[in-house]
Amino acid sequence: MNEVILEVQHLEKKFGENIVLKDINFQVRAGEVISIIGSSGSGKSTLLRCLNLLEEPTNGNILYRDHSILDGDFSPTEYRTKIGMVFQQFNLFKNMNALKNCTIGQVKILDRSKGEAEKIALENLEKVGMEPYIDARPHHLSGGQQQRVAIARALSMNPDILLFDEPTSALDPETVGEVLETMRLLAEKGLTMVVVTHEMAFARDVSSRIMFMDEGVIVESGPPEQVINHPEHERTKSFLKRYLTESTVH
Amino acid sequence: MKKRIFKPYFSVAFSFLLFLSIFYSFPFMVKAQENNYDLDHINSSLEEEGVLTVGMEANYAPFNWSQTSPADGAVEIDNSPGEYANGYDVQMAAQLAEELGLDLKIIKLEWDGLPPALESGMIDVIIAGMSPTPERKREIAFSDSYYESDMVLVVNKDSKYAEATSLADFDGARVTAQLNTFHYELIDQIPNVTQQTAMESFPTMISSVLSDKTDAYVSEKPGALAAVASNSDLTFVAFDEGQGFETDNVDTSVAVGLRLDSPLIDPINNALATISQETRDQLMEEMVDLNEQGESEGFWSDVRNIWTTYGHQFLVGARNTIIIAFISTLVGFIIGLLIAIYRTIPINRKHKPVTYIFYKILEFFIIAYIEIFRGTPMMVQAMMIFYGSKLFFNIDLSAMIAALIIVSINTGAYLTEVIRGGIIGVDPGQLEAAKAIGMTHFQSMTTVVLPQAIRNTLPALGNEFVVNIKDTSVLNVIAVTELFFITRSAAGSTYKTFQTFFIAAVLYFVMTFIATRLLILLEKYMGGAASYTMHKSSTTMPTNIKKGN
Repeated sequence: MNEVILEVQHLEKKFGENIVLKDINFQVRAGEVISIIGSSGSGKSTLLRCLNLLEEPTNGNILYRDHSILDGDFSPTEYRTKIGMVFQQFNLFKNMNALKNCTIGQVKILDRSKGEAEKIALENLEKVGMEPYIDARPHHLSGGQQQRVAIARALSMNPDILLFDEPTSALDPETVGEVLETMRLLAEKGLTMVVVTHEMAFARDVSSRIMFMDEGVIVESGPPEQVINHPEHERTKSFLKRYLTESTVH
Repeated sequence: MKKRIFKPYFSVAFSFLLFLSIFYSFPFMVKAQENNYDLDHINSSLEEEGVLTVGMEANYAPFNWSQTSPADGAVEIDNSPGEYANGYDVQMAAQLAEELGLDLKIIKLEWDGLPPALESGMIDVIIAGMSPTPERKREIAFSDSYYESDMVLVVNKDSKYAEATSLADFDGARVTAQLNTFHYELIDQIPNVTQQTAMESFPTMISSVLSDKTDAYVSEKPGALAAVASNSDLTFVAFDEGQGFETDNVDTSVAVGLRLDSPLIDPINNALATISQETRDQLMEEMVDLNEQGESEGFWSDVRNIWTTYGHQFLVGARNTIIIAFISTLVGFIIGLLIAIYRTIPINRKHKPVTYIFYKILEFFIIAYIEIFRGTPMMVQAMMIFYGSKLFFNIDLSAMIAALIIVSINTGAYLTEVIRGGIIGVDPGQLEAAKAIGMTHFQSMTTVVLPQAIRNTLPALGNEFVVNIKDTSVLNVIAVTELFFITRSAAGSTYKTFQTFFIAAVLYFVMTFIATRLLILLEKYMGGAASYTMHKSSTTMPTNIKKGN
């Protein structure tokens, strides 16, 4: 077994009186690709956002390489450089071109020289096939192209884990494929990923593990074969049944 | 003569200052003393030793006007280099100063700025064709009168009223007078009169009579003499005893205004006593002749003449206007930016309770600043800051510095909200993305959010700059030699209002137009290139990539 990078212990998150995450426990090991599935409002995105502290957990703990990230003396900004995030809405910096999007964090936070940062950025833009567009500003690019630049931006920080928050949900159907293909390539190269997704085919074919969430708890977790084809829980079954008949699998 | 009522905005500021001054001056009231005539005593009450500092408008011919050369005994205006004051008031002031053995210094001020300037010690006396009305006497002491005049009606030479000899002859005429003067109240004495709306200045009334919108306007004789001298189409009707207006003596005389406890009163009255009525009448006639502007030679020719004479002053005014507007907009923008950043700092109440309390206290002051400066007119702020700083802290701000401070903090209050709106307008995802790659709040703001927010606020910023170019005109109350102040001087001195304001309009338009174009260029530049260059890929792309766009 590979080393444990993240360990989530009894995680709880409330918004006011509203409990959105209850007693969440799981580990992320190096090289794993974990897909989190479940219907809207089940707490998937909130869980992902707790992992890089965009949301602050109400209770429980998250260990990063055995250190609690909720400790007072733990620097969230430093931690976030290790945990990359790809958003549903891409969130590329609109005031910068594609290359600058990928270098700004390296220069400002990792103290890399401009030349070094550009070299790394170009390598990553190449990986996602966006190298020809280094001069383009976000508004020049299609959704799929923006999402690939966003992936390159996250990769350029050399993260331990890359979190994907429904990365294809805001895309035109015709550009979904290019993003999923990029993610598949990254998975093949051994990048550790946690993906919140509705793409069942991607979850089934690429993940090493699938977690099904409902009403703020992890209902079922296991290899794709098991969770998708032989779900144990009623809730998983009904979700999959509903989902697989209502939507097209890419 | 002039019995203009202080305008409301002034009253607010002034009564506030007065209110404060009661507290401030109370302990010193005990040492009110007997006047004596010794020079040391006079000097002790002067703003500057050995110098009599006189305030006037320099745009009320023939009493006081401004000209661009020191000819005919004109005195350089201390706060507007290159501009010279002349007129009956200036000559009187010169004689008084000589009699008292003092040097003379002339400060040009807006009418409403005269009393607070006197009160705060910025000037020693007002010699500005001011009548010693009972209302004014409560705040200002007056000398004996130094000129008395009849009330007349100015009419078009060709009109049927030109031959009138009594008020009854003006039966049914359309008559007006200057706004906030007692002249306007006299109109009621004319039988069946059509009383028109009061007008801002004499030059506008002249224009109105010349264009037959008005049959006659009420004026004192010197003003009428001057108007007729520069417009041959005009004449004025003077009345014999009992045929004309019934006036209070106070209204038709002018006197030197002084601070209530000024030791200068007796020396000035003694000096005035040495100047005979004959000398006064003669001086007034001389001044009316001097101010004669000659016949109007047609619109464009007048404009050219005014430009030839006052062009340099206009350019100085325009330059000052631009300097004030530009620096103040920039400083205001920086103030707005700092406050807007401050107000976006996330402070966790639970984790840092002490920091949170200090944060909230400072935020309270910031909100107070914004509300106060957005909620009061800039003219009132100008009065408060300029005269208040002198009155209470004895800080002698130059008008220009005061102008920069006032417009900057005023602009800051407005732009804070504009920039905050710009920040709110930036997609929250941008801040999240910046945080997600490990940026601190400060880094996220400076590299990602603010550049976009500033880009969003540029149109509003440009708007504010244009507004500032125009709004500096209210600063004439603190005698900043900006474009509007110069325009008022030139108009009041030449009696050619339309022509003078036409020049001002052109200058304002040129300034705002250029400013707007430059801002559009800046906006384009900050928006980034409209297109981008494709670079050759050295690798093959993932197999099923479809190119967007």
